[in-house]
Amino acid sequence: MVGLFGTRLQKLEWGGWLAVGFAGAAMALGVTIAIGEMLNPGAYVNAQYTWLHLAASPGPFPNGLSLVAGTLVDPLSALMLLVVTVVGFLVMLYSIGYMHHDRGLPRYYAELSLFLAAMTGLVLSNNLLEFFLFWELVGVCSYFLIGFYYEKPSAASAAKEAFLVTRVGDVLFLLGIFIYFFHYATTGPNGGWAANGFVFTNGTTPFLPAGAIGSSTLLTIAGLLILGGAAGKSAQFPLHVWLPDAMEGPTTVSALIHAATMVAAGVYLLAVTSVFIGFTSTDQLAIVAIGGFTAFFAATMAVVHPDIKRVIAYSTISQLGYMVMAVGAGFAMVGLFHLFTHAFFKALLFLAAGSVIHAVGTQDLFKMGGLRKPMRVTAAAFAIGGLALAGIPPFAGFWSKDDILSAVYSQLGSHPLYWPFFLLAFAAVFLTAYYIFRAWFLAFSGDHPRDPSLPHAHEGPWVMQVPLVILSGMALIAGLFIFLPNFQGLLLHGDGVAGIPPVYGSTDLLLSGVSVGLGLAGIGLAYQLWGNGRVYVLPADSPWQSVRRLLLNRYYMKVAYDWIGLRAVYGISRGADFVDRYVIDGTVHGFERIFGSLSDRLRAMQSGVVSDYAAYVIAGLVGVFALLLLVAPYLLAHFGGT
Amino acid sequence: MFPVLSTLLATLLVGTVLTFLSGKYARWTALLVSFAFLAEVGYLLMYFPGWPGLAGGVPQFADSESYAWIHLGWLQVNYTVGIDGISLVLIFLTAILQIATVVYSWEEQKKPAAWFGLLLLTCLGCVGVFVALDVLLFFLFWEAVLVPMFFIIGYWGGPRRRYAAIKFFVYTHVASIVMLVGLLALVFYSGATSFDYSSVFAAAPTLGVATQAFLFLSLFFGFGVKFPVVPFHTWLPDAHVEAPTGGSVLLAGLLLKLGGYGLIRWAVFVLPLGFHEVQPILFVIAFASIAWGSIVSLAQRDLKRLVAFSSINHMGIVLLAIALGSSLGLLAAVLLMFAHGVVSALLFMTAGSVHHTYGTRDIASIGGITPTTPTLSTMVMVGSLASLGLPWLISFPAEFTALLATWDGLAYWVLIPLGILVVTAAFYIWMMQRMLFGPPKGVPPTAHDLPWYETAGMGILAGAAILFGVLPFLLVNLITNSPIRGFAGL
Repeated sequence: MVGLFGTRLQKLEWGGWLAVGFAGAAMALGVTIAIGEMLNPGAYVNAQYTWLHLAASPGPFPNGLSLVAGTLVDPLSALMLLVVTVVGFLVMLYSIGYMHHDRGLPRYYAELSLFLAAMTGLVLSNNLLEFFLFWELVGVCSYFLIGFYYEKPSAASAAKEAFLVTRVGDVLFLLGIFIYFFHYATTGPNGGWAANGFVFTNGTTPFLPAGAIGSSTLLTIAGLLILGGAAGKSAQFPLHVWLPDAMEGPTTVSALIHAATMVAAGVYLLAVTSVFIGFTSTDQLAIVAIGGFTAFFAATMAVVHPDIKRVIAYSTISQLGYMVMAVGAGFAMVGLFHLFTHAFFKALLFLAAGSVIHAVGTQDLFKMGGLRKPMRVTAAAFAIGGLALAGIPPFAGFWSKDDILSAVYSQLGSHPLYWPFFLLAFAAVFLTAYYIFRAWFLAFSGDHPRDPSLPHAHEGPWVMQVPLVILSGMALIAGLFIFLPNFQGLLLHGDGVAGIPPVYGSTDLLLSGVSVGLGLAGIGLAYQLWGNGRVYVLPADSPWQSVRRLLLNRYYMKVAYDWIGLRAVYGISRGADFVDRYVIDGTVHGFERIFGSLSDRLRAMQSGVVSDYAAYVIAGLVGVFALLLLVAPYLLAHFGGT
Repeated sequence: MFPVLSTLLATLLVGTVLTFLSGKYARWTALLVSFAFLAEVGYLLMYFPGWPGLAGGVPQFADSESYAWIHLGWLQVNYTVGIDGISLVLIFLTAILQIATVVYSWEEQKKPAAWFGLLLLTCLGCVGVFVALDVLLFFLFWEAVLVPMFFIIGYWGGPRRRYAAIKFFVYTHVASIVMLVGLLALVFYSGATSFDYSSVFAAAPTLGVATQAFLFLSLFFGFGVKFPVVPFHTWLPDAHVEAPTGGSVLLAGLLLKLGGYGLIRWAVFVLPLGFHEVQPILFVIAFASIAWGSIVSLAQRDLKRLVAFSSINHMGIVLLAIALGSSLGLLAAVLLMFAHGVVSALLFMTAGSVHHTYGTRDIASIGGITPTTPTLSTMVMVGSLASLGLPWLISFPAEFTALLATWDGLAYWVLIPLGILVVTAAFYIWMMQRMLFGPPKGVPPTAHDLPWYETAGMGILAGAAILFGVLPFLLVNLITNSPIRGFAGL
């Protein structure tokens, strides 16, 4: 699978089509695997190769240490594979039209292909280390693609920020892996986990028995570290700052990497960990808390933002928060189901936004307006995406988001602290519906653009419209998949692997009613304030102005991080450099001066013929014998030598 | 048995002489010698019989040769050479760097015969250190490395080359002398019957703990300055900044490895009791080097100084891995030495190319160079990403193993090197942002992308970085064919 993408040079005009072709082939394989998994759920391990091997030796790995790379197809990975390859293919196709005018296309398609390969590898990993290897590779692809327009200082800066913030998460993740590796080194069949490459399962039984996690402090820490890694990749509070800035990349990249696939890898990591290793109850609470809080926190920032892409980016953070919360509550497959539906409707929203940006050349919502008439397909697509996001039945988002809310609701009894985060997530439903329809009304309603200088808008070529139509279809029906017995079996089996109770079918009607009501109310409010080309201006003396400023400034978190990075760390570093040059090296020079003056006197007494080099050698030899004969025995006598 | 190691040394020795003599054809001679050397190393790798194991508690060596050299009463000096996985992997590194450096400096105009001759001579000294199994032979090769490097910096270097060359020479020479004291004392006090490694190794256990600790420290001083460890590192940035590119490549790629190799072979294996005593000191110095190297790097504006300080950081991790004294740690240390050899060499080459394409190495005064020199820019990216430990590139398996070993030995202390990974990422990523990306700044109209020989030189190293990053077991299986296998630790 991975080898399929390989590295390829695309210097020719049709290079993009080549990439699309490969992505299409990958999609065919991905869909085949997913269907196969639906018909015969289970875990399938394919050939693996040993990446690094140590024979049995004394120490922490008495049965040897193997680090391997292999593939594992199970319900979790099948679902992810479906998302990655289908959305990947559609985005590739869309790129042909969207990126037509850009320079550096070979680089673009090569990086995008590499990304797809890495993402496929990540999804199919059969152990945590291999997972990490691909995790980093998708990260670096994301870094390159955010910085695709590298001449723009803002793009270069955003790429740096994304790399470094996720790097913090990666380091935590790595430490989490260490703890698991050492804790479980000798657990499990066939000589223990270490000797077997730490693979999750050998195809029949998971290596670690489910529910055996207990409440060890060390494992709680490991779980929190994994959460840290996931928070970096999935842009959860407090490591969320990079994702809105990542919108500097091409919109296609935002759709594929920063909405549908890579940012979901954090959720996937949590799901895989919860199924194959397990979290302690403290970890679960922390995960629910981070997820629930982020869902609300990010939604508030989306409410005021004027940039169409960033509104959707905040929405992504918020939706990822829901998924994280579901996994934390113990329902990995529920989280992945939302990941599945979200991938389609969020990619749809981004591609529709890309279509708008392509047509009018700006991302500022307040300059747009009235685009409904010239861009009917896009307007409809954005509306379908918006309805799915807002959780209005029968669109995809309703089914999965409702599953999450009822899943968390069913666990409210397990800890009193679940309540506030559940309520926050519930409140975010209203905000979500409001902000996405605020964006829709601002862009599409009214008669004409608010900024008359915008170019005359028109739809993009067919390669851009086809993915929109397909994704619209998916946004409409993806949620209904749950009524397919085989698909449902996939979801149930995924949980069944580790004995986590499924909740499908127990959707609480009252809960659904309230959440749909909140969604409709949000849309209604958006219409009231922004519909028909209206622009709502907050009165200058309103007490809400300070809240608005706080939100527009992203709670000042980016300012604080920049301060830490630029002032604090760089300041320390400058100080250290000064010490290095003048204190440490200064001391060396002090010695040099002492010896220099000594040797000058020495030389003055001699004929002056002896060169520096010879003098050093002689001085050295004298020193050798002096030390050897005098100093060393003296010291040895004192320290009680032989 | 065929004296394959002596042939190896003779190839470089004869090659050096021929290169000195061949005037304007020196580069061809040097290239030919490098290929011959690589072929011999390839032969060694292919027919490496594996590590013979221990005999009577003393590690044995493959392809070993021993000839009487100076036999005067108690002075029993032999010409003894031999290899195991540790030395072989470093000899392989030498072969790679030698070819890459010769190719990279293909158009050297300033006394090319002397230049290429000195490059080969440096490599000869390093290979000698890696194969020598006699105290005096080891020390001779050790000192022999200094001389060509002194001239390389002093003659082909930058504006302050005299200062840097003398500082380099004096600093490392003083350290060498302390090391020599330690080595001689080791031979005399242990009552070894000859200067051979095996007899010293066999006799060392008779020494008491305090003696061993004292000897270990004196050896460590010699090896540690070469590493270099904080606070004896200040010769390194100056030497690198003033050294010509080829000099920097060999200095960072090979000379620093001598310290790590010597520490493992002559101190850790020979004086385990003393090692155990001074372990805490080594930990402190290692952590200081790791943190200091990385933090100071962040403040550097000169690309070469930046890479030089990052070397201090990486060699600090090597020291940490050695200091752990476990099988896993030693494996990580050797792997990381190989990785750092390849990656730092690549980065110094890019720094050299940046310098003569843009006339400066000041990161802040150039920017957006990617459209003008895409190949160079790509190489900077590969080198930086490898150096900051990106998986699929060579440093990652090494750093991963090192951190794994650190967690094993020191538990939560691993937070120091792990946290510093973020700083290391920061200074590379920030450097790339300022220098490679953004709008073009300080780009002279005559600037053009790399000539073929610079691309080829860097390409060899980038290729090695990717190959061994994807398939690290190729190296690991080799390295563990040594006393590292089953090293019982402390």
